[in-house]
Amino acid sequence: MSSDELATPFRQRADGAMKDTFLQEALTIATTKFIGLRREAFAGFPEGEALRDQARAIKEATLQELDRHLETLIANVERLGGHVHYAATPVEARSIIVDIARRTGARMAVKSKSMATEEIHLNEALEAAGITPVETDLGEYIIQLAHERPSHIIAPAIHKTKGQVAELFTRELNRHAAPDPEALTRIARGELREKFLQADLGITGANFAVADTGTVVLVTNEGNGRMVTSLPRVHVAVMGVEKVVPSLTDLMVFLAILAKSATGQKLSVYTSLVQGPRRAGELEGPEEFHLVLLDGGRIAQIGGPLREALSCLRCGACLNVCPVYRQIGGHAYGYTYPGPIGILLTAMMEGTPAVKDLAHASSLCGACADACPVRIDIPRMLIDLRREVGDGKIAPWTERVAFTLLSRLLRHPRLYRLAARAGRLLQRPFAGSGRVSRLPLFFGEWTRTRDLPPMASRTFQERWASDMDLRA
Amino acid sequence: MTTKAEFLGRIREQVRRTPARFSASSARRPEHPAAEAETIRGELAERWPETLDAFRREFESVGGVFYEVASVDMVPATVARIAHGREARELVTWHASAIGADLTQALEARGLDVHQMPAAEPVAVAERERLRTIAARADLGLTGVDLAIAETGTLVLVSGAGRPRSTSLLPPCHIAVFDRTALVESLRQVGVLLEAWHGDGTPPARGAVINFITGPSRTADIELTLTRGVHGPKEVHAVFVEQGIRG
Repeated sequence: MSSDELATPFRQRADGAMKDTFLQEALTIATTKFIGLRREAFAGFPEGEALRDQARAIKEATLQELDRHLETLIANVERLGGHVHYAATPVEARSIIVDIARRTGARMAVKSKSMATEEIHLNEALEAAGITPVETDLGEYIIQLAHERPSHIIAPAIHKTKGQVAELFTRELNRHAAPDPEALTRIARGELREKFLQADLGITGANFAVADTGTVVLVTNEGNGRMVTSLPRVHVAVMGVEKVVPSLTDLMVFLAILAKSATGQKLSVYTSLVQGPRRAGELEGPEEFHLVLLDGGRIAQIGGPLREALSCLRCGACLNVCPVYRQIGGHAYGYTYPGPIGILLTAMMEGTPAVKDLAHASSLCGACADACPVRIDIPRMLIDLRREVGDGKIAPWTERVAFTLLSRLLRHPRLYRLAARAGRLLQRPFAGSGRVSRLPLFFGEWTRTRDLPPMASRTFQERWASDMDLRA
Repeated sequence: MTTKAEFLGRIREQVRRTPARFSASSARRPEHPAAEAETIRGELAERWPETLDAFRREFESVGGVFYEVASVDMVPATVARIAHGREARELVTWHASAIGADLTQALEARGLDVHQMPAAEPVAVAERERLRTIAARADLGLTGVDLAIAETGTLVLVSGAGRPRSTSLLPPCHIAVFDRTALVESLRQVGVLLEAWHGDGTPPARGAVINFITGPSRTADIELTLTRGVHGPKEVHAVFVEQGIRG
């Protein structure tokens, strides 16, 4: 995230996105397609609901003993010849990885798609140290060439047209490129194949890590995860501490629902179970394996209000169904993780003040909680965040005063009745069309993007009372 | 820099003072994975024709091409047909001991340039490099299969001596040979078999990676247009040998 972008208020970023007609169309097509694929995948999978419950239980059970599971994971990774590193902050994570790169004399690092490395802004740190990072997921490669950021967790370049990609390839790669996805993919294959074969360092995230066996699990569709973990001399995997699962049996529960939630596939094309460095007898594979365990705000939430968000699998299902995401796309959120879960993760990583606007970027419709494969109650946590934003005097004073007054009115029936009567008089100049679509002063903020229904001429209580009279 | 003790200490402290949200347990691990794996194998031995049908259906639905031959002698002809269809000549293959049959001569007799990967790790770095260059330029990669999962149409390949990771990854066309001993029905069964493979905790003799391959490499990153072969193979062929590979 560049500070320039964050200097723009959320509302302006969102407005910009809503005026971008291509983005609007791309978002509608992409999210609608993902929703349909996900629905079909679960429709043909009756055991899916029970597996979602089980997956949620496994995540909760793992958190209840996270220290023990991590100790097991660490012991197994080390037993297999791997090295484990501990990063409390993104700064520490970056310096650990840059040190590994320097010590091994790496000049180029190939990366497979990893939200954790986006989160710690690893590429900038590598570049500053003279090491060239190359994103190898096609979508990530495109946005790296364009110097942009991902706009969707699993489809990072959905905001770009094939024409824009063709122009980008022509300009950046000096190759004539036609605006045809097949041809563009072929060009990327050729370019990146060279990089895979040259690179000294392979950097990945981890979809899961199995404590029992010291296994890091990578899920990709393109095969870049396999390249990155097979060809370079050194493999570094970066993972948030919450990604650990106890056993291979647990892992299978998650694999059965992850791809269905993300892309509607029964399994993604490649699931790689990587257990440390190359073994005796193997022709290929890294000589060194490093696992970087990342805190970055997660540990404090084990007992915090965002605990449930630690169960997130990063499938993107909640983005696709979110009416706000569908309108504004990923960039407008302003941080690494977009969408409903992204707001919670941003609060976790950057602190509550960072989400003072974002906490309200939700209609609380609950579609995200329904779509979530591990049934994270995102709306409940968003409401809690809003309260915290309010209590912490982070929200603008007008909003705080308005809601304080409202809560007082709602608690005092006589005051409420009085206010209702006053409101009926005061609304007259604004409710001519049968809707209140423009209020004066700072109340105008509320009606800027919404209409209010006018207050009825008689309250429910008044009608009830008179009906009782009639019946009597 | 944060030390291991500090890092784990913070987690321990949080875990200690945080009540459980609800009573929950992780998945029930098989108590005797090896024995349960045997039971599953036994059951599957009776149901393999149905399992094969289901595998074929799923494998084809993810874009795989399925073949069935009576005996292992017929595999080279099938491979040669695939090769001739796409003017491919150069083939890298897992070592004969890893596939379960030596097909090199028969493949060469059909006009293919066959590079068999060594059964043991080469000592010299230069030799390693040479073999990698071959894998990177080959048109076809021929491997065995450790598990074929009917539920998802997935091929599971375990890396190791004589079974390099790159054979199923670098060439644009991957051909995998398997028989009924590899067939399993479900991901749940795979879980039991994986637990059995990892058995007693000592590092096994096999390699460090287990790959699940479900169809050809794909992406939809440009305007959601499905495109095959972005990094891994564009084509995946599975050849089922009815009478078994090892005869």
